[in-house]
Amino acid sequence: MNPSQPQESRYQSRMRTSTKRLYRWHGAWAAATLLVAFGTGFWHRALGLTLLAVGLDVAMGVGMILATKKFIEEIDELQRKIFLNALGIAVGVGLIVGVPWTVMDAYRVIHLHANFGFLVILEGLTFLVTLLYGTWRYR
Amino acid sequence: MKNRLKVLRAERNWTQAQLADALDVSRQTINAIETGKFDPSLPLAFRAARLFRLRIEEIFHDPAPAGCKNSDGVGN
Repeated sequence: MNPSQPQESRYQSRMRTSTKRLYRWHGAWAAATLLVAFGTGFWHRALGLTLLAVGLDVAMGVGMILATKKFIEEIDELQRKIFLNALGIAVGVGLIVGVPWTVMDAYRVIHLHANFGFLVILEGLTFLVTLLYGTWRYR
Repeated sequence: MKNRLKVLRAERNWTQAQLADALDVSRQTINAIETGKFDPSLPLAFRAARLFRLRIEEIFHDPAPAGCKNSDGVGN
């Protein structure tokens, strides 16, 4: 077999499609989450509209999860290792920071209220840093 | 695990990108395997063996010491 030198390999082409799909679903979920967060005040907490927005947010969230699952299945084994390592560390950091923080907040050891948003940001940043480190390590 | 991927690729004048395309993985994965930073899975090792028309053990070498015993307690 004599491999050719294409402009874009099959793997790259597949990754481009898969990554675009991932971006679209993450964007849709972020937009739906913004709609729930800010729309509720905009339509004066009308129950029907709020439930509709929450339903849309959940639907987009399920789509995002499935797109991420498909993305993990489609990336090659090294990328999968880097991705899953980053995911595992991010979830772990979220747990080891989140649980003690919640407990300390509940017992009023600290005066910084446990906020889920902070944990999401912490996990996101941890994932990003670990992913970049993994990519650099196996470059 | 040591391997001869780089040598085999060089013998055929293939680039890492060409080999990556033939094995349906990223160029980064080929580089990581060649430099010994990453050990491929068995399916990928089989694909490489098929591509080079060699046996897996002719490409990938287990650096285990000679006295190492298998699960039957037999040394190699």
